[in-house]
Amino acid sequence: MNAFERALLVAARELAAERRHPDGFVAALTFTGLLVLMESLAFGPGQARQPGVASALFWIAILFAATLIATRSFDRELEDDAIDAILVLDGGREALYAGKVVAIAIVLAIVALAAGALSLVLLDLEVALAGHLVLIGVLGILALAPVIVLATLLALRVRARVALVPILSFPILIPQLVACTQGAAAALTGDAAVALGWTGILAAFALVYGVLGLTIVPAAIE
Amino acid sequence: MIETTSAPFPTIRVRPWLGRIAVVASLIATFMALVWAPTDAVQGDVYRILYVHVPLAWLAYLAFFVVFLASLGWLWTKRPWFDAVAVASAEIGVLFTGMFIVAGSIWAKPTWGVWWTWDPRLVTTAVMFMMYVGYLLLRSLSTDFSRRATRAAVIGVIAVIDIPIVHLSVLWMNSLHQLPTVVRAGGSPAIDASMGFTLLVSVIAFTLVYFAFLAERVAIELDRQRRMLEARS
Repeated sequence: MNAFERALLVAARELAAERRHPDGFVAALTFTGLLVLMESLAFGPGQARQPGVASALFWIAILFAATLIATRSFDRELEDDAIDAILVLDGGREALYAGKVVAIAIVLAIVALAAGALSLVLLDLEVALAGHLVLIGVLGILALAPVIVLATLLALRVRARVALVPILSFPILIPQLVACTQGAAAALTGDAAVALGWTGILAAFALVYGVLGLTIVPAAIE
Repeated sequence: MIETTSAPFPTIRVRPWLGRIAVVASLIATFMALVWAPTDAVQGDVYRILYVHVPLAWLAYLAFFVVFLASLGWLWTKRPWFDAVAVASAEIGVLFTGMFIVAGSIWAKPTWGVWWTWDPRLVTTAVMFMMYVGYLLLRSLSTDFSRRATRAAVIGVIAVIDIPIVHLSVLWMNSLHQLPTVVRAGGSPAIDASMGFTLLVSVIAFTLVYFAFLAERVAIELDRQRRMLEARS
């Protein structure tokens, strides 16, 4: 079994566990929906409907949802020490990291789809470039997931882990958050050139942090 | 496994002298900054905070770059000395970055009219500060020595990316903050010679203070590590 197959196996196992006990997914979905609602109420419907504000509210909610999903995912690993079995395998650390990134990105994409639909309906937003918006969404999630998984791995078996994951990951994720927000706002308003520019930046972030994570994770997990 | 076989706890013989030299250099820099350097034609005496603000910025970069090098050293060799240097430099870096932000804020009020503005340099510096606060938090919440050192080292390696972002943010984005004055592409320093010399002395003095702090803190950390290993064995 090669490295790619091992990573896919971890991802499939993760998704199967999520399907059987979707507590992480349900919590993230509820939390995201609630956050979108509360933020929109706090800003007021007039302000919240501005493309820039709506995009920022959505991506901040997704960021928090990502930490919830990742934390719950690793909680499951720790509950029965399943993580130790993977770590002792040859290439297990890389497979664990890559598999978790893939699985968490898929779960997060479903949450984003639902939260995005909720935002569009509640805020009565008009989407000028739907294809660009989807592309920003996919690349944004791929740019967030490697950092969130890395931060969760670093905070594994550490006290106050729930607070530590956002503290470690959010400062690193600020450029991605800006790119997601600006790109989504451009897609909503119909500025194709700007939206495509941000997709390039997001793709670069996804690649850099994906490779960095794979390089650094074997040394980071003991 | 922690490597402890070949000189894991080196003693730093220059340590007692560093502090004394740093104090003398600081007194000279203080005299030059407050008395010897001329008053600025535009800002008046307010500009003198430059002699604190710029060296603090330099030290923040230096301290976090040392964290990066020490983190690589730990990941490569697993020698506790590297971890001690990393934590010592991170703590000093956070202290200096905090002072750098406060000094900048004090300077901003009379010149820009506000204590804080959403300027790229200010925001990226605040992000850098938060990153290393997170680094220290991760260390303080981990109990196992080796695991803590390794995980902190990973953050130490990743977080260094923010140093060029902070420095170049004024060139990449529209910024209220002034462009680089001393180290700038395609030109000599845009500062009066006597002011430039005073700034150089201030930077040297602050750098000596950094190394004096670093030596003391590393010694404390190595002692703590030694006691911890002795207690375990």
